Amino acid sequence: MKDAREQIFASIREALQTLPERKPHPGPPSGAADPRWLAEETDAAALFLKRAAAAGTKVFTDAEACADWLRGLSARVVLLAENVTELTVDALSFAEVVSVFDRNDPDRIDASVTRAAAAIAETGTVVLTDETTPDRLAALAPWTHVVVVRRGEIHRSVADALAALPDDPNVIWVTGPSKTADVEGILIQGVHGPGEQAVLLI
Amino acid sequence: MSVPSQRPAGRKVLFMATCLCDAFFDNAARAAVEVLEHAGCEVIFPEDQTCCGQPAFNSGNWPACRKVMRHAAEVFNGDLPVVTPSGSCAAMLFHGAGIAFEGEPDREVIGQLAGRAWELADFLVNGLGVPSWPGRFPARVAFHQACHTRGTASGPAALRLLGMVEGVEVTPFGEGDQCCGFGGTFSVGFPHVSTSMGQLKLDHVRKATPDFLVSGDMSCLLHLGGLAGKEPGGAVPTLHLAEVLQKALRDDG
Amino acid sequence: MAEQQIDQFTRRLDGKVRRAVRENSAAGTAKRAEILAADYGDPTPLRRLAGEIRQHAIENLDVHLAKAEDSLKRNGAEVHYAVTAGDACRVVSDILSRAGARKVVKSKSMVTEEIELNGHLEAEGIESVETDLGEYIVQIDGDHPSHIVKPIIHKSREDIARSFEREGLGDYDDDPETITRRARAWLRRKYFEADAAITGANFVTADSGRLVLVTNEGNSRFCLAATRLHIALVGIEKVVSGDADLAVLLNLLARSATGQQLTVYTEFIQGPAGSGRPSGPRETHVVFVDNRRTEVLASDCREILRCIRCGACLNVCPVYRQATGHAYRGVYPGPVGAVLTPLLAGKDFPAFADLPKASSLCGACNEVCPVDIPIPDLLLRLRNRAHAERLPSPGSPPMGPFAAMASRPWLWRMALRSGRVMDVGPVQKIPVPWMRAWLNTRTLPEWRGGKFRAWMRDRRKGGDET
Ligand code: SF4
Repeated sequence: MKDAREQIFASIREALQTLPERKPHPGPPSGAADPRWLAEETDAAALFLKRAAAAGTKVFTDAEACADWLRGLSARVVLLAENVTELTVDALSFAEVVSVFDRNDPDRIDASVTRAAAAIAETGTVVLTDETTPDRLAALAPWTHVVVVRRGEIHRSVADALAALPDDPNVIWVTGPSKTADVEGILIQGVHGPGEQAVLLI
Repeated sequence: MSVPSQRPAGRKVLFMATCLCDAFFDNAARAAVEVLEHAGCEVIFPEDQTCCGQPAFNSGNWPACRKVMRHAAEVFNGDLPVVTPSGSCAAMLFHGAGIAFEGEPDREVIGQLAGRAWELADFLVNGLGVPSWPGRFPARVAFHQACHTRGTASGPAALRLLGMVEGVEVTPFGEGDQCCGFGGTFSVGFPHVSTSMGQLKLDHVRKATPDFLVSGDMSCLLHLGGLAGKEPGGAVPTLHLAEVLQKALRDDG
Repeated sequence: MAEQQIDQFTRRLDGKVRRAVRENSAAGTAKRAEILAADYGDPTPLRRLAGEIRQHAIENLDVHLAKAEDSLKRNGAEVHYAVTAGDACRVVSDILSRAGARKVVKSKSMVTEEIELNGHLEAEGIESVETDLGEYIVQIDGDHPSHIVKPIIHKSREDIARSFEREGLGDYDDDPETITRRARAWLRRKYFEADAAITGANFVTADSGRLVLVTNEGNSRFCLAATRLHIALVGIEKVVSGDADLAVLLNLLARSATGQQLTVYTEFIQGPAGSGRPSGPRETHVVFVDNRRTEVLASDCREILRCIRCGACLNVCPVYRQATGHAYRGVYPGPVGAVLTPLLAGKDFPAFADLPKASSLCGACNEVCPVDIPIPDLLLRLRNRAHAERLPSPGSPPMGPFAAMASRPWLWRMALRSGRVMDVGPVQKIPVPWMRAWLNTRTLPEWRGGKFRAWMRDRRKGGDET
């Protein structure tokens, strides 16, 4: 008996044999996927902030303001990733600051602050990788999540970000808080991931 | 939808009346002829014409469809444009035929007819370049674009023509791009779904309180008019687009 | 008279459900149109491009699939193949049993619905919990999804609150926020208890070997953060040539499905997380599933394999809006289902040959499809197949006699004249079932057969005289 792989490839080849010719690739889309307003946006950082806010992300350009916001949410336990330097334990003195996510007590942490690998201006997206976010849970499980993005790391478009996708076991684009509209089409935030998503752009 | 890119557009045309106009809506067909003549066309009506083959095509009986289409290709042979006051019959010729005749030896013959087929409004605006329309027709009309003209130039052409007629006010209505529910044999095979679709359309149209419901296809109007005739909401007067243009011409006297 | 199944289902459907589905679908259509117009003006060129990208992918599937396999292996993933639904289920349970996994969390995946994986795992004594909120509710209700993207479009908050109460997730409370919070807490426990995660994939890139997964809730992310074993089931047609194709596809997918620029979480998975990472799978298995896709590829309906499961064709479809998802008796409802279900049924094609008939062929589905699938043409091809296989079609008038008439002009003219009897007799008594189906809810205009012809002849005569 042929193995499954062989059998499937044989069926594919047989099916494709009937085609008089195979469709060529239409070629690189060269900007076709860019929204028409993208060309007018020259300031990537400004666009990123605008689009992130439109996607429901809280945006900060000032570390102090971001810390104040966390305080205002009465975050008592904050996870601060080791590779974040923009917010410090001092700035978060109102809370207990931890650096490790404990999966045995996933809801103990109220908020987490982690580093982004990059961002996308067009969509207000932050890009997380295993490289910059070694513990995926830290950036996902707490109700509030702050990602630190550096200005130089912003891609202009989705197409640019794809062209620069790093080799990493897991790259995730996050565009706003976790949401659902499954119940009668009503939008609810914070289904499995953060109900509050924020960025701190430095 | 594959619309031929190059179609003949002279002022001598073969007129395909459609089976619906042949059986019920002679007024619409007459109007179409008068409108074409006003646009300077010599209109030839091949007497042996019957149907475009669409009913059989849509019901899946393609051998029957091909039989009818082969007859149509004979009746409308030559190289004159074939103009029809129906978007769905035109689409049957230039789009459906190519599918129904895939792998058939006479595909080219049918393709030749397909390459000359025009829906009336498309022909007037894009074939002949009609720039204006004389006369007046003071009425609020709701324009229903037939689904089989999606992806063709017919819908915009019809609106252009309506816009040319003094006094015509085109009123929008809810979910304007939804189907009327006719779908040929669908309307009798799925009477409940079809009727529900039509009633929804009628509700939207009635809310816009037009004087007339206008379309470029009598099939949609057959369905909507037929439904309205049975409903407590009462009849909704319908007109083919050509009839609007004809009424304007008459006013121009 | 025999009734078409979809028409019968619709007739008996609860009016509330029907209205909810119609309104939700119409809202989805409007959102899609709005964002595409704002961002692209006319989206048609982009849809065409996306269609070409996908058509290229499926017409070169042998090349791309082999390449995807190589790339995935290079990235550290294990690759498996499954010919049938049963094979796919067995591959999954073998992987699970080798790892000693007894509890599984699942992220929404159409192909796992198709192969009925949950039932299989349950029979093997493995707990498999759906984590997408809608799918979770479908699961606890023993129901079926009625929409590709919005599985519980047919359920009200009251229905859900009752289900939650029954399942012990708290006292009756139909506030959507409360429902969501309760699911959050409950499913969180499930993620951390689970030994393995099962997902689908929206795309697989051949050049870089990435599985692309999109969710709004973040459930797939949680599955891949909390568990140590990842199994992805992927239809073989999901392969695209490379990362660059995704710009067009992702932009169109989110806008078409939910009217968003991008889905909240777009995840690119190359393989297992590096050793020493505190979270993420240690093993990644990709199972490529055929389950008759190669039969579809060999058919004249292969364009349906372009589908990226956005659900836009369901939302816009006037028949889906009236009939709702369960009317289609399959995993894929609406226009895409009307094409796919009969094709994937194999020998059981006759049992689903009615689905392609449930369409007015209005073409709205093609107009919204992000990969420009000519769905009405495919429905027609399947109707032709049903006719060629001599399958009955309740309610449809026979076309043989019509064609005989319409290819003989003298007969046609005679019929036009004799049709006038319709105006004389009481039409409601006409013993033709399909005529009655029309006349039950609709009137017919006066028969005026031959009048136009007479008018043309008179004018010609008149013209000759002058
Ligand atoms: S057929 Fe097209 S519109 Fe329908 S679900 Fe698939 S991709 Fe979306």
